[in-house]
Amino acid sequence: MLTDLFSFSVQNLTRRRLRSYLTMIGIFIGIAAVVGLIGLGDGLRMAITSQFSFLGTDTLSVQAEGLSLAGPPGSAVSRPLSEDLAEKIGDVDGVEAAINRYIKTGTLEFNDQLVYGFAMSVPSGEDRKVMEKMLNIEALQGRLLEDGDGRKVLLGNSFSEDDTFGRAVEAGDRVKLNDIKYEVVGILEKKGNFLIDGAVLVNEEPLLDDFGDDGTVDIIGVKVEDEDDIPKIKGDIEKLLRKERDVKEGEEDFSVESPQQALEQLDSILFAIQLFITIIAGISLLVGGIGITNTMYTAVLERTKEIGILKSVGARNSAVFQLFFFESGLLGMVGGLVGVLIGAGLAYGLAAAGRALLDIELLQAHITPMLVIGALAFSFGIGLISGVTPAWQASRKNPVDALRYSV
Amino acid sequence: MNIDEIAYSLKNLKNRKMRSWLTVLSILIGVMAIFAIVSFGLGIKNYTETLAQEAGVDKLFIQARSLGAPGTDDTFFISKKDIDFVEKINGVKTISGMYMRPVQLEFRDEEKWNYFMGLDIDKIDFILESFTVEITEGRQLDDGELGKVTLGYNYQFENKIFERAVRIGDKVAVGETELEVVGFYDQVGNAQDDGNIYVSKKQYELMYPGSKDKYGYVMLQAEEGIDPDELSEKIEDKLRKFKDQEEGQEDFYVQTFADAIEIFNSVFNILLGMLALIALVSMLVASVNIMNTMYTAVLERKKEIGIMKAIGARNNDILFVFIFESGVLGMVGGIIGVIAGYAVSTTGGAIAAAAGYSMLKPIFPVYLTLLSIAFAFFTGAIAGVLPAMQAAKQNPVDALRENE
Repeated sequence: MLTDLFSFSVQNLTRRRLRSYLTMIGIFIGIAAVVGLIGLGDGLRMAITSQFSFLGTDTLSVQAEGLSLAGPPGSAVSRPLSEDLAEKIGDVDGVEAAINRYIKTGTLEFNDQLVYGFAMSVPSGEDRKVMEKMLNIEALQGRLLEDGDGRKVLLGNSFSEDDTFGRAVEAGDRVKLNDIKYEVVGILEKKGNFLIDGAVLVNEEPLLDDFGDDGTVDIIGVKVEDEDDIPKIKGDIEKLLRKERDVKEGEEDFSVESPQQALEQLDSILFAIQLFITIIAGISLLVGGIGITNTMYTAVLERTKEIGILKSVGARNSAVFQLFFFESGLLGMVGGLVGVLIGAGLAYGLAAAGRALLDIELLQAHITPMLVIGALAFSFGIGLISGVTPAWQASRKNPVDALRYSV
Repeated sequence: MNIDEIAYSLKNLKNRKMRSWLTVLSILIGVMAIFAIVSFGLGIKNYTETLAQEAGVDKLFIQARSLGAPGTDDTFFISKKDIDFVEKINGVKTISGMYMRPVQLEFRDEEKWNYFMGLDIDKIDFILESFTVEITEGRQLDDGELGKVTLGYNYQFENKIFERAVRIGDKVAVGETELEVVGFYDQVGNAQDDGNIYVSKKQYELMYPGSKDKYGYVMLQAEEGIDPDELSEKIEDKLRKFKDQEEGQEDFYVQTFADAIEIFNSVFNILLGMLALIALVSMLVASVNIMNTMYTAVLERKKEIGIMKAIGARNNDILFVFIFESGVLGMVGGIIGVIAGYAVSTTGGAIAAAAGYSMLKPIFPVYLTLLSIAFAFFTGAIAGVLPAMQAAKQNPVDALRENE
């Protein structure tokens, strides 16, 4: 039955070839636009979120609440975290270490060139090892920082490339942080994300001495012993902080988040933008669907006599309905198939062209099997939906009138 | 081309009503989307241009380099000394540094983040002119007045910033400091500026002694007859030398208002242009639909074409009839599309205004309407060219013999 339906539909579509082609072109333009944009958007989202994926699953970060996305952590907060909190958080059951982190803005000068950026603190003692493990860093040149290192700085890999200062920085070179001389103790291995590759790390004491210490902490990094306990530990830390900062539940002026949560937040913003653009592109699919409806109405009209014959030799209403309904779906799906191919080509082509012309590594395309299957199913669905009313009209025709009908 | 031919086209469209309507529907959707997007774009352009005119082209600002939002980072700042230096540069008429930082404002147990600014009240006329706002309720602060605050437009309404409306005489708090509200500003049109909190410089310095004489944002006015662009370069040059920094590595920017607005405009236009381009895809699909409808029409009326040719219609007449018919399909779609687009952007604008962004107000110049309809007509006409050529080329004898 299904194969009959299929061959009958194909036969009919090829009989009015030009019209079928045009209808399918309508669908494939729409599908190509949607697939291309989703592919580009997915790629971009993955590229951005992968920048942060080095953050482990067994960590939490504590921040005072502030204007979100306004700058580096700790910069726009009403009540900063105090320095004694880390020790108290460290005593919470299941917490391996809680580390005060300081993030300072300033200038980095080398080879008579100046860049603006952040310097981050590295704690001393046991905490140092924990942090090195959390960030998963190793020295490519020189060594990592050690206790007792004074004005020494550890730089991310991107400073060892020529383009930042016109000359590569090497271990042993002298740079200036906020106009104060520091020695480069090492260069980190390349990690492929800007947070580590662009890092400027300084031991806690010299950083606070040279950049100013106001007794407040920008962020507290927490490492837990067992990642399965994260929800419970998060609750315990929140309870502790509510008590310490004297705020009621529901009115917290701080946040305890896992990196995954922060990532999800970022991703949901990017997703909303992508969705909006996709909806606008999706308008063309609606238009393509109307084209299918139109073509199918014409087909029903043209084949009125045929419908009459089919019915007079015993075809039921439902069989006639199926015939046109399936034909319509097929129109949509073939259009979708071509559209997916062109859309994928478009996404990869545009991403490659963008990377080459604009030199932005983040421009990536990513076409998932889900997207391909989804787009095909969607176009088949559009075809089916567009065919409902014409097929219904065809199935309701009175066989006697239909037989008598002439164009 | 004559009236008969036009009437003939219209009659034919009516005869196959269902098909014509579906085709019109497909083109109207595209026109609607593009019309709505462009009307917002023009609205933004209009808003920023008015802003630039009212603020005046003689305004400039100096901004300290910041790695986050303005006011969140005081590593780099413009000092009192820098301002005194710039004030002496030839061509600078008025100069005023502004304190700003985001704070949490408390009102009746509710807290909201907004920008807190410390202003030179004795230079307030100049500052207000730059921001094109004035006090509409209550009064302005006095120079150096303590314990008093003026607020942005949105605070006067329920559920805009706080659940309850703030009134003159109410107390609000920033941290431990209580302030009495003495006035409200007029609407600026974006939620950020309409949520600003203003105090005198003295009050600000009292609350944040560490920030005294460290400015993130400095406004200045050029003297009459001085080219602001040249002045901007001159200030940049002199201040750089004064601060002993190298070119391209300054920790401050000097910009004219006009430049800043232009940058904002061009970024916005690129975004809207991209959206319009994506919406244009649906017009492309619609034109394919029109082509399809017209091919069907040509096929159906083969005999008719034969008859017309037999009684003396020239190829050109046939060509015109079909192209015109196709254009009318497009135009009707265009007219309805413009009406629908108008409805969509008016609704969208109302939603944006309710959310505090009354700057997102679409405008509908007559030329936009006319261009949209003309665009739809030509899209239709061009889509009709190939089918019409097929119709015109038909051999009258074969066409007459045709029997479907």
